[in-house]
Amino acid sequence: MTALVETLKLRQYPIGIGRLIVWFFAAAGVAAMIARWAWGLGITTNMVDDRGWGIWISFDILTGIAISAGAFTLAAVVYIFNLKQFYPLVRPTILTGFIGYLLAASTLLVDLGFPYRIWHLILYWNVHSPLFEVGWCVMIYLSVLALEFSPALFERLGWKVPLRITRAITIPLVIFGIVLSTMHQSSLGTLMTIFPDKIHPLWYSKFNPIFFYVSAIGAGIAMIVMETHFSAQAFRYKFEGPILAKLVKAIPWVLGLYLVGKLADLVFSGKVQYVFAGGWPTVLYLIEILVGVVAPIYLFSKASVRRNRYKMFWSATLVVFGLLLNRFNVSLIFLDGAPYLPAWTEILVTFGLISIGIIIYDLAFRTLPVLQHAHE
Amino acid sequence: MISMGGNSNSGHLQYGISRRTFLKFCTAMAGALALPKSAQSTIAKALAAGPRTPVIWLEMQDCAGCSESFLRASSPSTAEVVLDVLSVDYHETIMAAAGFQAEEAKEKTIHAGGYLLVVEGAIPLAEDGIYCCIGGRSAVDLLQEAAANALAVVAVGSCAAFGGLPKAAPNPTGAVGVSEIVKDKPVLNLPGCPVNVVNLTASIVHFLTFGELPAADSKGRPLFAYGHLIHDNCERRGHFDAGEFVREWGDDGHRQGWCLYKMGCRGPVTYHNCPSVRWNQGTSWPVASGHGCIGCAEPDFWDASLYTPVKIQAVTPPSLYPSIEVPEQPVSLGSAAVVGGTLGVIAGVAGSAAYRQLSKKGAAEGEITEEEESPAAPVEPASSEEKKE
Amino acid sequence: MTIDRRSFLKLAGAGLGGFAVTDLPKPSQPSLGPTDGMALLYDTTICVGCKACQVACKQVNGLPPETDEQGIYEMPNHLTGKTWTVIKLYQPEGDEPWSFCKIQCMHCQDPACVSVCPVGALVKESNGAVTYDTKKCFGCRYCMAACPFDIPKYEWEKNLPLIQKCNFCAARQAEGLNPACYDACPTGALTYGKRSEVIAIAEARIRDNPGRYVPHVYGKDEAGGTSMLYLSHVPFEKLGFPTLSDQPLPAVTWIYMKAVPPLIGVVGTLVTATYWFTHRKKGPESGLETGPKEESHDSAG
Repeated sequence: MTALVETLKLRQYPIGIGRLIVWFFAAAGVAAMIARWAWGLGITTNMVDDRGWGIWISFDILTGIAISAGAFTLAAVVYIFNLKQFYPLVRPTILTGFIGYLLAASTLLVDLGFPYRIWHLILYWNVHSPLFEVGWCVMIYLSVLALEFSPALFERLGWKVPLRITRAITIPLVIFGIVLSTMHQSSLGTLMTIFPDKIHPLWYSKFNPIFFYVSAIGAGIAMIVMETHFSAQAFRYKFEGPILAKLVKAIPWVLGLYLVGKLADLVFSGKVQYVFAGGWPTVLYLIEILVGVVAPIYLFSKASVRRNRYKMFWSATLVVFGLLLNRFNVSLIFLDGAPYLPAWTEILVTFGLISIGIIIYDLAFRTLPVLQHAHE
Repeated sequence: MISMGGNSNSGHLQYGISRRTFLKFCTAMAGALALPKSAQSTIAKALAAGPRTPVIWLEMQDCAGCSESFLRASSPSTAEVVLDVLSVDYHETIMAAAGFQAEEAKEKTIHAGGYLLVVEGAIPLAEDGIYCCIGGRSAVDLLQEAAANALAVVAVGSCAAFGGLPKAAPNPTGAVGVSEIVKDKPVLNLPGCPVNVVNLTASIVHFLTFGELPAADSKGRPLFAYGHLIHDNCERRGHFDAGEFVREWGDDGHRQGWCLYKMGCRGPVTYHNCPSVRWNQGTSWPVASGHGCIGCAEPDFWDASLYTPVKIQAVTPPSLYPSIEVPEQPVSLGSAAVVGGTLGVIAGVAGSAAYRQLSKKGAAEGEITEEEESPAAPVEPASSEEKKE
Repeated sequence: MTIDRRSFLKLAGAGLGGFAVTDLPKPSQPSLGPTDGMALLYDTTICVGCKACQVACKQVNGLPPETDEQGIYEMPNHLTGKTWTVIKLYQPEGDEPWSFCKIQCMHCQDPACVSVCPVGALVKESNGAVTYDTKKCFGCRYCMAACPFDIPKYEWEKNLPLIQKCNFCAARQAEGLNPACYDACPTGALTYGKRSEVIAIAEARIRDNPGRYVPHVYGKDEAGGTSMLYLSHVPFEKLGFPTLSDQPLPAVTWIYMKAVPPLIGVVGTLVTATYWFTHRKKGPESGLETGPKEESHDSAG
């Protein structure tokens, strides 16, 4: 360990209110998962025959994978576009991405009817299925993320040979990761295209794969802001303000492209009248677009916002909120089916997995050289 | 009425039963046996012909209820006619003789052979059968001796058929039914607690007419009486199909004669003809009286739970139609409360944090200053931690 | 080449607009359905609602009975994890005609469920049946979401739940027997035979009985065609049938799935080219693949 890289000692694990709450939810979440395995989905969830997908799909998988897009986006920015000044953000973002994908995969262990058959995806192939594609990409990408993060582990362990190998393959890994992410972020959108008659016209589009991809990039960058803010606060180190300020300049462009695409799709498919047709579709669509897309475009284009840590953080929150609302609108709220509100056990599992993610992140930060600096 | 020996050539006329009544009886028997009407003449001929078949009626661990049931028939007594066709040589409860005389009559009949053996009551096997001894000999012994030379064996009542009440848990006497002991010849089981006299009479008439016991199911019960579920012939079946169930004794449904399934009626799992032939010359039967069937024609019914709805085996269509609309599955109030509460807490925490951080003071704290433009070393964690290394 | 902001925006708008307007290319794969599998025609004007089909299906497939919330025995009021077919009653107010309707899996010619199942547990057989392999399924429930008729149901009360739906008596058909519901029907409301022949019978009935039917055979073209066909005397949407276009649903996703391999190549090439482009002015050690210079480690090139 050099003077440049600091790690916080594990034996000084501070037990404060925050960590107690997190551990409580982690334990409760695991208990809820055991309840699902013991008693089945009928008792532990509010999913019913005409609502086979609940918040575990809409939030844990769709939103979770989308906001983990920061990993490939930042890797592209730093390694492919060679913008070295963003290097300090790389490891924490890769770690966040890895944990995000890990939690999405873990959700499958409760959501699937046969969790122990999760490996069937490897044995039985149906290349027509978007879910097949998503599953494979996520499986492989999880390994890619692990390998991309492994230098931090090998540095800590002092394993020189593995370290050298993983460092040497960084660029191929990054390229592979970008390809995989492009594939599965858009395939998550393809998932939704098979039910044209079941999704409200405002949210059904043949171009959903592209919309999902672009919005994931925007939310991924926003997630980097949020995660940097939380880490700096929790571990009491310097907030990488100036670097982030430069990074978030991309958000108005990304979200702008997204907005233009969505509006063009509305206009040319003749769906504009639905925006003003009234009722919940209008309300939620306008919230999603105005709060989640238009407002952040405006905010992040202002230098005064980019100069301020908290203003950046809350503007990023709007982006993530907008993405979450979009995924919920497409896959749950405006997907025809039985009325549904998540059961408390479903919420517990979701919070529990997030808490486990926080615990892993916390431990990783404390034991591994996650914080780094730009190459001189 | 009941007589011993003699023959029946003019039996029915001697006893004041008209030919018409006799033929009506034969028709009734043909009906009970589910035979065509034309069988009536065959039955009449058989009953009027030949010397009376002797019967030995053994009572083992019994309550004599089946005998009572047999005697309850009265107009013009199926029992009367049959007994004039049969020669009941031994029946503890109703025979006139007693003691050595009675036993001698039995031994003579056994020795002569060609008799019908009717057994009532269970047979205890524990401790060498000591729990039922008649005239110094155990029931097992008596049964084996009597069965050896019999033309056919009929086990009347649930006790003789399957062990009945004496066999109920914990069965301290080791009681069993007749067919557990008599293995070398067919035993016709006529369960019921008590046996329904119509079924007994019809079985005997079948035997006398056709020279063999009626066709039986896997439990040795004649199919004509035990071939259908009570559930399938019950007059309250319509209420079952329409979901009209009695839920409490004396409630409105009970007063209106609704189905007793939820009160534990064992009709759906019991094979017997009570709904058709009923009891006491067709007066009534348990369900018609407002209590569920207790399943007395099935083995081990005493050990079954009486007031728990039984599991129904066969599927049949209901009498109502579901409507085209997909049934409603409304969201529960509890879930709404939990979701609302969760969102509220998140909004509250986020809102207060945002308010604090975006207020003038908070925003000022959040300003990113110029010196931090270049990458710098991270702030040391609390230096005391470092020093502790 | 310089371009001012205004022109750029105009170009971008036109480009995107053009993209939105052109329809995505028509699917190049033909329908997955067999050219002439078996089909079942249900005629609402002949059905008397005896439910012999419903009962026969339960008996043949060993399905458990179920009770509705009033306690009525064996009264499924919809398809469920225990019921594969059910007779429903459409009873409008006033003088409008009422109708029975038998619902079960439609056994589409190009089923959405078959195309979305990631492990291929659902298969369209050559005899027309869409069958379910209980051994492959891992319970993702995508088939439940994708089916335009909302047919696949789930065993929610089990902790290892299976999808439950009519399988067109595929096992019986394989032995040369007829589907159980068809055999049980006492009135001839069900007609079973090769799809082309059954459609011909249905169309002949419409022709020969003017005014008796809504002049449309439901299932002939909906969602690319189904093996369960319907003739009705009341409008199909009243019976709960969705109004669908002729396009098979898998065709929509196949456009994207087909593009995956070429897209991998295109994206991979683009990204690699960008990397080369942004690193071409500097030497090999300019890249960040080595991480920060550490005194204690070799900086690998």
